[in-house]
Amino acid sequence: MKKTIAALSVHIVVVIVLICCVGLLGGTSGGEGQEKFTGELERNVTLRILENDTAIKQGYLKELLDAFNEQYAQYGIRAVDANMDQYTDLANDGPYGYGPDVLYQANDALMKYVDNKHIMPLPVEQLDCYNSVDEQSWQAYTRQVDDQSYVFGVPVNIQGPLLYYRKDLLPDNWQQSWDDDGDGVCDIVQYWTDMYRYSKQLQQGNLLTDSGAKRFGYMRSFMEPYFSVGYLYSYGGYTFGDNNTNPRDIGHSKGDSAKGAWVMRQLASVMDKRCIDDTVTVTAYSALASGEYFATVTTPDVYTTFVTEMKNAGYSDEFIEENLVTADMPKLPVSGDLEDESQGFVESRMMGGIQGYAISSYTKYPNAALAFVDFATSYRLIMRRNQLLGIVPARTDVAAEVGGLSEIICNNLSQGNIVVMPSISEVAQIWTPLQTFFQDLAKDPFRPDDSMDFKYDTLDKIQQRLKEVDEQIYSAIFTLA
Amino acid sequence: MTAKLRQFFVKIGNGCRQWLAHIGDWFKALPARFAVRWHTFCDFLKNANGKVAASCLVMGLGQLLYHQWAKGLIFLAVQAAMVLFFVFVGAKGLVGLFTLGTVEGNAWYGIEGDNSVIMLLLGILSVIALVLYAVVYTANIRDVYRTQSAYDCLKTPPTFRKELSSLLDRNFYKVALALPILGVCVFCVLPIIFMILIAFTNYGGTVVPPRLIDWVGLDNFGKILTLSDFAPTFFRIFGWNILWAVMSTFINYFAGLGLALLLNRKCVKGKVFWRLFPILAYAVPGFITLIGFKFMFSYGGPINYYITQSGGSAVGFLDIDAKWSSRLIGLGVNAWLCIPSSMLLATGILSNLNTDLYEAARVDGAGNWKQFTKITLPYVLFATMPVLISQFIGNFNNFGIFYFLRGGLYLDGYFLASDTDLLINWLYNMSIDNNYYSIGAAISIVIFIVTSVISLTVYVLSPSYRQEDTYQ
Amino acid sequence: MKKIIKHPRRLLGVALTYIILLAVAFVFLFPILWLVLASFSKSGSIYSFKGFFPTDYSFDTFVRLFTDTDMYNYPRWFANTLFIAVMSSLLGTFLTILTAYCMSRFRFKSRKALMKTTLLLGMFPSFMTMTAVYLLCTQFNLINQHWGLILIYAAGAPMGYLTQKGFFDTISVSVDEAARIDGANNFQIFVKITLPLAKPMIVYTLLSSFVWPWSDFILPKLLLKNKDLYTVAVGLMSLDDTEFSRFAAGSVFIALPIVIFYFALSKFLISGLSAGAVKQ
Repeated sequence: MKKTIAALSVHIVVVIVLICCVGLLGGTSGGEGQEKFTGELERNVTLRILENDTAIKQGYLKELLDAFNEQYAQYGIRAVDANMDQYTDLANDGPYGYGPDVLYQANDALMKYVDNKHIMPLPVEQLDCYNSVDEQSWQAYTRQVDDQSYVFGVPVNIQGPLLYYRKDLLPDNWQQSWDDDGDGVCDIVQYWTDMYRYSKQLQQGNLLTDSGAKRFGYMRSFMEPYFSVGYLYSYGGYTFGDNNTNPRDIGHSKGDSAKGAWVMRQLASVMDKRCIDDTVTVTAYSALASGEYFATVTTPDVYTTFVTEMKNAGYSDEFIEENLVTADMPKLPVSGDLEDESQGFVESRMMGGIQGYAISSYTKYPNAALAFVDFATSYRLIMRRNQLLGIVPARTDVAAEVGGLSEIICNNLSQGNIVVMPSISEVAQIWTPLQTFFQDLAKDPFRPDDSMDFKYDTLDKIQQRLKEVDEQIYSAIFTLA
Repeated sequence: MTAKLRQFFVKIGNGCRQWLAHIGDWFKALPARFAVRWHTFCDFLKNANGKVAASCLVMGLGQLLYHQWAKGLIFLAVQAAMVLFFVFVGAKGLVGLFTLGTVEGNAWYGIEGDNSVIMLLLGILSVIALVLYAVVYTANIRDVYRTQSAYDCLKTPPTFRKELSSLLDRNFYKVALALPILGVCVFCVLPIIFMILIAFTNYGGTVVPPRLIDWVGLDNFGKILTLSDFAPTFFRIFGWNILWAVMSTFINYFAGLGLALLLNRKCVKGKVFWRLFPILAYAVPGFITLIGFKFMFSYGGPINYYITQSGGSAVGFLDIDAKWSSRLIGLGVNAWLCIPSSMLLATGILSNLNTDLYEAARVDGAGNWKQFTKITLPYVLFATMPVLISQFIGNFNNFGIFYFLRGGLYLDGYFLASDTDLLINWLYNMSIDNNYYSIGAAISIVIFIVTSVISLTVYVLSPSYRQEDTYQ
Repeated sequence: MKKIIKHPRRLLGVALTYIILLAVAFVFLFPILWLVLASFSKSGSIYSFKGFFPTDYSFDTFVRLFTDTDMYNYPRWFANTLFIAVMSSLLGTFLTILTAYCMSRFRFKSRKALMKTTLLLGMFPSFMTMTAVYLLCTQFNLINQHWGLILIYAAGAPMGYLTQKGFFDTISVSVDEAARIDGANNFQIFVKITLPLAKPMIVYTLLSSFVWPWSDFILPKLLLKNKDLYTVAVGLMSLDDTEFSRFAAGSVFIALPIVIFYFALSKFLISGLSAGAVKQ
């Protein structure tokens, strides 16, 4: 009996002691880390580059990689396509060793990684592009960490909304009747008031395209906050206070933002119900091509999609070149009423984004990765990127050289007419509440159809609702935190 | 009718009372059972000889001393493997389960640090391994003790070959169930335990690795209780969720059964052909159909195209004001997705129904309806009651339907949810969209308890659980 | 006399049956037909349709689906999915049938507890556990591995054993007992008697455990980072908005194996139907 008890207890004690000793002794040791950017290139390494799908599709990435690999062959550095989803989340992949070394994403996505140090602060002043990129763009990638200001990404491409329209669909006599300011450009694409008037005419005239579809003037889904929140910005609203950095100050209801919402409600009434949900967004490409829509608003990078659709519709390249026009956003009436131009106009301020490169903290070759970023943001390659993808370069020297659209957007950014999407992680909470509100608002002019009362027929009601939206966002951010 | 209804409720009430009584009895019997165990254990200590003690010290040693080489070596190998496991992984895991990491990582300087969630996971794994170790260890002692008892009674213990062959016969279930149980434990149970434990930590928001995570006790549950927005939203969604689960389970189940019966009729020619159409629906992945249906009912979709073409005004089937039409469309789309599989199931079950019963019924002059209610339904219900319950749970937790059809809305009177969202969608909004994993885990525990009480009660009361061998 | 009176009623019954069948066929076919037509649409976008139907038809999308593979390598996704689904279906069915058989035919301690536990496990919201599954896979090196997915699908399959158990519960044990008297052990009974009787159920299990990995996109999305390893579902979700006809073509084609599967195996489903002799 004693033997058995002894054996049992010895076994149990040994197991416990073993676990305690091994477990407690084998903890991770901290250790001092060291600065990673030593300037000394790692040799014979392979860098995994995450680019966006358009760059891959249009062949730009291949060109970029080839050029880089040729130049850095002497160091044995090779860059390859990471071959991952373009929206991949570094916070998920990086720590376990599956992430790319260099990633190209939008500023809100990239700056989200800063919270837990998934991307590295970069010595950007060493880069070729440092002086050519606008202060506003660098700002989007700058963040205070432990009381020190760091830059975490290199801006490449500015995204901001543009007006796309079909020149051939302008009214025949526009020089006489639609050019009050006499600048030789049709007022319809310069002032929202005229766009509204023209859209209304088309709608009331019940005009049809050749194939018998109903014609519309301006058409755009209001559901997406990215494109809609700008109307609030234009009249003094903002997302977060202190230059989009203070999540405790949410300002969609600030200033005269209700006027912006009123403008949207008016615009919705001259579109049709398709502006309520998101079907228009994708319809726009083919509908513009078929002449169903006269104009829409979207980002510059989808220009090629419109061209493809117009080619499908049987137009020649010259015709498309001549008649598919992209332009700056039209001006808004100060009054906030599209039927009242008496108080003059304000510029549209729209939400935009800046896409750029960042370097993963989990890369083993930070110096080679930095060399890649430097190479990819050089004048030559940004120029090439612009030629192939039609993007708006963040490098002002390239923008000035190519002129046109790029210059317009670059200027808009520096003048503050493009408000860069907040780079703090709380921005994730604004989309659903705003999306709900914009749907509700776009639906409003059509409510009598479903025998319902208007919800937003006065500015006060809109103002009230916007306040509630801000509260909703606030509670989404802070109640559970 | 009312009498029947009353009888039904009385039956449920009795069932519940019986069940509660059953639980009570179990607890009452506990001391007695424990006493018996203790007694056996004392007997064991008294009788065990040196060889048994050897096995207590090191697994397999006693067996080797009894010249049971194969068995002894197997136990010895397990002992060695376990020791290695605990030295290299297990010990650290067990300690990590308590500390959840002590060194914070900093990827900027290449400091790896501790990853709290991984430590939690490995901790659970190690606990499971420890339990497994205890089980094998006792099995080893039991085994050698059995051998000793056999020799004490002057019998020869069964040979190793014989023991092996019993694994194909009397103990076949042990072999057969080992693999499935292992798989389920690692890939289903372990993650669930992980999530349950997460509810007691501060994981989420900005506190995600490389930040260190800490145990916070019941804080998250406290937060849920004190949140003023929480309760009204919970009950509003819960009500709709119950309604949804009952309705959709009912529709899918009976429509599937009806379809199977219809296709079983003698007069239907070309059964393979007719059955193909539901199969088609089954063949296209659900999320694709959901995207398709969403588009079909959207403002720019084909249905509204025809409505506007014929001069009508487009209808917002799924838009912000469309509470009930969205709910109905959700039910319909869910039926479209689920009926095919429930039809297949019913077909399989019906194939095993004894047709003699119908002959007998026909001789007795029972009509079609009577045959259905007296023979088919009880039989099918018996065979599928557990499935019905799991379908109910599946529908209760049906995430995809409203996520795809009407996601991205937060409506008045709901905290971070819309009026078509089910609890699981709400949970998603909070935990994934907003990264509050620990709160999400706490809520899923609440939901889990509610659903399990409902379904376990139904299950335990069902004839398929109580009289499993009715049809055998 | 009686027959003549009954005849018109029966005719009505037959007519009604066929009318219902036609309606059911329409309801199930129509959305699929729409998808098929969309895949044959000439313009890439579904939005240029007139109502349900495209304006121009062409075979281009399918050609593009299989030849234009630089960006969207559909044939490869397809092969990946097929491999994953077939393997996990075979493994999963094996485990499920085994589990169901044991739970139905053996009476052992903790059996009822096991049954209740499995029922409860199914109730935990599955996406909440995804984080843990992902972490587990990073530890076992199962990321970017098709076998990792197969393992997870197959391991989860026995959780749904209740259907199969219900089926085994309805098979009479008298045959088993006869065999046991002849000296067969439980393993032999399982292989030689129960399995052949359970053919319809096996087919059902094969089909349902094939469909799940075939159409799932949450798990592969989580575990497969490399685009070359994508399954069809993940690949289709990564398509551009403007690629609707490609999306539709991909979705139509993805349905094909299941339909073929059904045709190949339906005779087992049906044979079960007519074989009332199963239980005597």
